[in-house]
Amino acid sequence: MAGGSFGQALVIDLDVGGGDPLPLSDDVLRRYLGGVGLGTWLLHELSDPAADPLAPEAVLAFVFSPLVGTPLTTSAKFAVVARSPLTGMLTDALASSHFAIAGKLTGHDAIAIRGQCDHPSVLLIDGDGARLIDAGETWGMSAAAAEAHLSAQLGPGWRIASIGPAGEAQVRYATVSHDGRHAGRGGLGAVMGAKRLKAVAVKACTKVPSADPAAVLAAARDLRARSFGPATAKYRELGTLSNLLAFNAINTLPTNNFTTSTFADAPKLAAEELHDLRSVTRNSCASCAIGCEHIYATKDGGSARVEYENVFALGPLCGVSDPDAVLAASVRCDDLGIDTISAGGTIAWAMSCAEAGLLDAPWLRFGDGTALLRALDEIGSGTGIGPLLRQGSRRAAAELGGDAPSHAVHVKGLELPGYEPRTLHAMALGLAVNARGADHNRSGAYEADLSGELDRFDGGDAHVAAAIVTEDRAAVMDSMILCKFLRGVFDDPFEEWAGLLSGVTGWDLDGAELARTAERIVLAKRMFNLRAGWTPEDDWLPPRLVDNPLELSSGRVAELSSARLRAMVDAYHVARGLDPDGLPDPAAYADLQLTAPLPDPAPDPLPDPAPDPHLSPRPKVRS
Amino acid sequence: MGDVGIVLVGGRSSRMGAPKAGLEWHGSTLLRRTVGVLRRAVDGPVIIVRAPDQAVPETPDDVLIVDDDQEGLGPLQGLAVGLEAAAAHGEMAFVCSTDLPFLHPAYIRKVLACFDEDTDVVLPMVHGHRQPLAAGYRTALAPQVQRLLTEGARKPAMLFDVVRTRRLDEDALLSDPALAAADPGLRSVLNINDPDDYARARATAPPTVDVRCFGTLARSGGYDGHDGRPVAAATLEGAARAVGISLDQHVVAALNGDRITRDGHTPLMDGDRVSLLSADAGG
Repeated sequence: MAGGSFGQALVIDLDVGGGDPLPLSDDVLRRYLGGVGLGTWLLHELSDPAADPLAPEAVLAFVFSPLVGTPLTTSAKFAVVARSPLTGMLTDALASSHFAIAGKLTGHDAIAIRGQCDHPSVLLIDGDGARLIDAGETWGMSAAAAEAHLSAQLGPGWRIASIGPAGEAQVRYATVSHDGRHAGRGGLGAVMGAKRLKAVAVKACTKVPSADPAAVLAAARDLRARSFGPATAKYRELGTLSNLLAFNAINTLPTNNFTTSTFADAPKLAAEELHDLRSVTRNSCASCAIGCEHIYATKDGGSARVEYENVFALGPLCGVSDPDAVLAASVRCDDLGIDTISAGGTIAWAMSCAEAGLLDAPWLRFGDGTALLRALDEIGSGTGIGPLLRQGSRRAAAELGGDAPSHAVHVKGLELPGYEPRTLHAMALGLAVNARGADHNRSGAYEADLSGELDRFDGGDAHVAAAIVTEDRAAVMDSMILCKFLRGVFDDPFEEWAGLLSGVTGWDLDGAELARTAERIVLAKRMFNLRAGWTPEDDWLPPRLVDNPLELSSGRVAELSSARLRAMVDAYHVARGLDPDGLPDPAAYADLQLTAPLPDPAPDPLPDPAPDPHLSPRPKVRS
Repeated sequence: MGDVGIVLVGGRSSRMGAPKAGLEWHGSTLLRRTVGVLRRAVDGPVIIVRAPDQAVPETPDDVLIVDDDQEGLGPLQGLAVGLEAAAAHGEMAFVCSTDLPFLHPAYIRKVLACFDEDTDVVLPMVHGHRQPLAAGYRTALAPQVQRLLTEGARKPAMLFDVVRTRRLDEDALLSDPALAAADPGLRSVLNINDPDDYARARATAPPTVDVRCFGTLARSGGYDGHDGRPVAAATLEGAARAVGISLDQHVVAALNGDRITRDGHTPLMDGDRVSLLSADAGG
């Protein structure tokens, strides 16, 4: 067995309350590494991709990685993987810290959960095995409160991942949280809530050696030293919020539901302005030398974690410039346990609809911080427009009907992060084709747009190549796992990552093999989606962003034409070895080592958007 | 396809005594400035037309260099070669010489904006003269220009009589608010022919630009509220240096919120807004 792994997953059946080991061969571990890659393979093997994500038979996997537990900086991360109740496709989200280490040291490379508890429960896993206890009074608590409560109840050594009230209510963009960090995107918390599972608590009971501990220690020292360099300075000094004013300056800050790309009041929310006034402290995850978490004081005497995406989504995207309102909204999202991007995106959609007279909510206006907080409260309580907004923008738009879908800015049902695609053409492609939907963590193509090495307004072949490179790198980083904030310290990423993995696992990896691993993981995700109902029309951007010119502050007009996007998407599919139906070469599919046969192409494209377009079981197995 | 920029760098520069393309310009060269101004104004590539084996100063990798194999046939020959090379990249081209030290992107944009379907050449008339080497040409004219050359023509003026030429006087040019604000004296067309011209042009104060630093650079570059910091700098590198920042691999710049570049030779204009960003921008 490779170093850094146990060669087994634990498969929990909540219907019976116990678990069974699932052997993981060295071949599978080497092909998929861990994290998102291994999680995708497990979802293929253990679940029906067409099953309702909120049904008992849906599978939710917590997946660790070879590097967890080593002294390598930023390696204490875990992936949560499931079919998304928001997109109907694969979603994989990462969170960090001690849960990753303790979870792995229960003796498992992954914990896959299916079934449904008969009442709200907490899953415990330690050296005595897996068992359920009553969730008791934690049901209804915020994730942070539940975690604190369970920590006190269970005693030292237990690490807890929990959902908040939104997960319990199956809000489709609810998160899973540990130590204040969220596996945020795609509604994993709703999947957990549908299983009536408030929390998973793990306690380390064993160890796992690296193949070459001395080499790993030396690599860890080197990586730690490099992590203090200029490539990570922005994360240490101001955090990702330092993007906000910069993005505003370059017409890349989506504002008022993507109707403009600059926000006049951006300075009021900028790290450069707020840091000295409000910064309280800086935190880091376990095993991290960067420390990207910047904590700001809130008006009520509390504090809020501040990063670019939550401030963007709850600020400029909703036209809100009052920092107190934005920070309060961010805290409220944390308390509910919802993804700030999808929350902000869905509320911004509702603001557009209200202003257009499509939604009877005259109080909901861009720029109104009080309205933003009321909308969040209604999402939490399920009152007023809350039930509508709990569905996310795509389903809510379909339910509202009329012109409402034209205001919904999402890809595959996942609301866009804070990157304006019309001024970032490589990122436009990355957002359109990514398996998870519109996402900046699985496609970092904005790096190419912002590098100055290609024209961000003139997407073409170079942009396609750049999008593929960043998607591949993300696939490996999310599987071995290292934090992407480290990505800038590597000069030859695949070779250097192969070196790190070789020291831990003992595999004779090189960069070329790891590059193939990346392609395999990307393909495996796409194949899950294909089995879940993906059609070629899903790799596209929303109408607000295509053939809809955007006037820039420079006077230039930025546009992403449908012809340009079509050319880039087609070129991406060709480069990925996919035919027009999204099907790969049979040899490439065989390389995935999946039990399920190669899917057939979708029989009929679905209208987009449409109510629950991917949640009706559509078995499509080639006989 | 976008518009194309063409620079004609041939010619003997006999009165100057040295090739004009290589003249020093605020730490860069005159050609580098001209190419940079064109890059700021056109969407398509920039093409340099040179004499065979003529040495030209370093330019960005994406600049196309074509040789004019016929020596001694004047600018009409260079125009023919340039338009032929440009035809694959765009319908319109702005064509200029390399000796225009005050050429402004707003001038180029205005000239190119004056094309319509009935226009083959946009010919500015400034300071009492036609400006054929600061003018717009339809790239499809290449065969026609070649035919004129075969018939013995040597000057662009002979072209204007046989194609649909739209003449723009100063009032027409300055009707464009952007150009009127950026270059009210239409210095864009001033060329330099001898060392005195060059010395006078070189002695002109560099443009004043507004530099803003973001993120971690705000600490080293002195974030100055919302208005940035005015500095005198002819190039991006000069602007960065003026606020204590080196354009290394961790820094990129955006001009006026538009294209992003690491090219320190990028020429600046009065009123430009220079944003210096961390190259590690993103989530």
